[in-house]
Amino acid sequence: MAEDARGHIHPISSLIREANRIFGAMGFTLAEGPMIESEWYNFDALNVPKDHPARDMQDTFFIKDEKEMVLRTHTSPLQIRYMESQMRKGIQPPYRVIVPGKVFRNEATDMTHEAEFFQIEGLAVGEDVTLANLKGTLEQFFKDLFKGANVEVRFRPSFFPFTEPSVEVDMRLIGDNVPEKLRNKWIEMMGAGMVHPAVLKNAGVDPSKYQGFAFGMGLDRLALLRWGIDDVRHMHSADLRFINQF
Amino acid sequence: MKVSHHWLQKFFDEPLPDVAALADALTFHAFEIDGIENFGDDSILDVKVTPNRGHDALSHRSIAKELSAILKLPFAHDPFGAPEIPDFSVAGLQGDAAKSNSFPAVSVTLEDPALSPRYIAGYIKGVKVGPSPAWLKRNLESIGQRSINNVVDATNFVMFNTGQPLHAFDAGKLSQKDGRYHIVVRKARKGEKLLALDGKTYDLNDSQLIIADGNADVPIGIAGVKGGTPAGISETTQDIIIESANFNGVSVRKTAQALKLRTDASSRFEQVLSPELAARGMQGILEFVQHMLGGEAAGFADVYPAPQQATRVSVSVEKINKILGTSLTPAEVSDAFMRLQFAYKEESGTFDVAVPMERLDITIPEDLVEEVGRIVGYDKVPTVPLPPFTQAVEINQNFYTAEHVRQDLTAAGYSEIFTSVFADRGERTVLNKVDSVKPYLRATLTDGSIEALKKNIPNKDLLRLKEVKLFEIGTVWKGGKEEMMVGIVTEKGKAVEEPLSMHAPKEAPTGYENLPLSITERFQPFSKYPYIVRDIAMWLPVGSSTKDYEDIEKIFFENGTEILREYSLLDVFEKGDKKSVAFRLIFQSFDRTLTEAEVNPIMEKISVTLKEKGFEIR
Repeated sequence: MAEDARGHIHPISSLIREANRIFGAMGFTLAEGPMIESEWYNFDALNVPKDHPARDMQDTFFIKDEKEMVLRTHTSPLQIRYMESQMRKGIQPPYRVIVPGKVFRNEATDMTHEAEFFQIEGLAVGEDVTLANLKGTLEQFFKDLFKGANVEVRFRPSFFPFTEPSVEVDMRLIGDNVPEKLRNKWIEMMGAGMVHPAVLKNAGVDPSKYQGFAFGMGLDRLALLRWGIDDVRHMHSADLRFINQF
Repeated sequence: MKVSHHWLQKFFDEPLPDVAALADALTFHAFEIDGIENFGDDSILDVKVTPNRGHDALSHRSIAKELSAILKLPFAHDPFGAPEIPDFSVAGLQGDAAKSNSFPAVSVTLEDPALSPRYIAGYIKGVKVGPSPAWLKRNLESIGQRSINNVVDATNFVMFNTGQPLHAFDAGKLSQKDGRYHIVVRKARKGEKLLALDGKTYDLNDSQLIIADGNADVPIGIAGVKGGTPAGISETTQDIIIESANFNGVSVRKTAQALKLRTDASSRFEQVLSPELAARGMQGILEFVQHMLGGEAAGFADVYPAPQQATRVSVSVEKINKILGTSLTPAEVSDAFMRLQFAYKEESGTFDVAVPMERLDITIPEDLVEEVGRIVGYDKVPTVPLPPFTQAVEINQNFYTAEHVRQDLTAAGYSEIFTSVFADRGERTVLNKVDSVKPYLRATLTDGSIEALKKNIPNKDLLRLKEVKLFEIGTVWKGGKEEMMVGIVTEKGKAVEEPLSMHAPKEAPTGYENLPLSITERFQPFSKYPYIVRDIAMWLPVGSSTKDYEDIEKIFFENGTEILREYSLLDVFEKGDKKSVAFRLIFQSFDRTLTEAEVNPIMEKISVTLKEKGFEIR
């Protein structure tokens, strides 16, 4: 009943803090990058061809009077930027990096879609990083995030231009202390896969020697699941009736 | 793409499992299923074909072939299974009068073969146009298509069966020269128009590819998108020219987009199809001519200047296991390729695969790794943690600083907001916002934070705040650069912001601080309707105890009804041996705006009840 004297951090900030802690313990470094991005880093370098429908006007915000510049549509450009900067410093893989940040899609907004939202990217590259390691890494992440629950992770085939093979990742939480809405249900969590050799090559990494996995997960959706939030539009509402609950 | 269970069955001798099992098989080994519907005694799967498989998988044959591989069911009736494809270039090849003999045939000119890599025209004489047989109608209707007539339905059936779009022109409406029809595939000329089969007239431009009656030099179709009425099939049609062609994907997509005319044909061509498929499409329609349409094939033209080269891709069992983290044996890999009907040569653990012509997605070894992985099943991929990382994790200074600022500001009573980067003013603009409001990228955080402040002030009581204090750590675009700022705003002070970098630690941090995480378990939905506040103060009886507080709470909630959201203790003071307490009650509904008239009687009742229990209202 007392006055609320201490302020609250945004749930997304709490989630990023926690994700950084969990992935940090697995050796992942946190990286950040620009929101206005070149088409090269946002698309071409990631093996998204020039005529790919994703590059159409409807999905991507283009910047006026700045040729080939866009608001990044995903955190994946940092895959290239991070590997490139390491190579410039003469540091060969292994690399492990996570990239939390805001991304943009030129879409109408509703209860489950926002034009600006948060993603977390993960990338692990080495001589022998496998799809099995992706399963292990994500299972560990969800275990730490949903404490006290048994976590299962499964893959389904999918397609992304920057991974081959590509998978959709589902998660299932099992246990009595899992909220009923989530308990024993497979939930689609993210897209992932093994980094496409063309992406490694574009970042200056030798694909005949190195391989790795990458994933990209929506943080807003993760927050919705984690706390049972009913509307993604709360995230940018700046409404303390929402924020001060966390 | 809609796929019929009954239609799929035609490719197999053995009975297919039920639709749920088919959906599962596809979901875990090929494609997501967007839905399942019933159509009479048939079930229709809505298959979400991934963009990389748009080349080959937008057909019943391909989905059946996938199921054959996944479920290990023999693919008994492959429409591509016939070893011999007729050589459509033999009779009536463009410019080869000797081969075309004496009968009037058809010639084809491709003005830009890059945009139309292949065009097969089949001249069929004496068809009987009429209604389709029941089975054909039913097949098309089951996947949401309308039956038109037997000729059009046959071309559509072949498309949904094989993935090759076809088009039928009424030859009687085309011009002949020296007894010959002439099909020209060319760019439209500025000002050319076409009344298409959908009844609309399309203004064409010189970037769009069309099919023209070469002898009359008029458009008769928009290449790969839609046919035109000038050569449309009608009940009186006798002779037809069937087009089974290949068009450039980007060109078709741009044309369909510009004309706002996306069709089942254009959505296939835009995925880029194999030109080899065109022959299979023509082969498919000829079976209909033979069994259903009547008439006879009277001449062909097949212009195919640069035939598709065969693709071979090699992968070793070692590489497959190295990428997937599995321990598959050569026998298991070979089983996957056999189920997919991929021909291969194996030599000491390396598989040299002859890629089927329609599988344009397979070009590198990793593509074959994916084929093996999904057919074997990703459930066979074990869960293996990454080995420990030997290097130290780098500390991101910007993130470290942001976290530190968050900690300081929350300790000082500020709450963190995120506001939109889109603004009413700024230095940089986005070109094409769908909602077309706020096209600028913010150059300051303060506009957003002042707006947020105003929005939150009315909720102060509900939030139990003396003063609303907000902060945001966010990106702005100012002075030609992108910068992360920290901005604060309070009711009493002015909104201020400064670069986050000003708060950077003096010495490079060696690790992140161990800052608290949210301990909230579940979000509580809140009402979006305004609330009403009422304060009530009373003297407690002499010798008051915690029991009194329990009684008061009980009275509040018993009389407050479901609209009493909460109450809080506002004030306590003592005078002599008497104690005064004041409470603040907040009323709010989840489904309506409350009125005074609703709250006043409730307060009256609370007041009366308190008095009855011996509390003296002040």
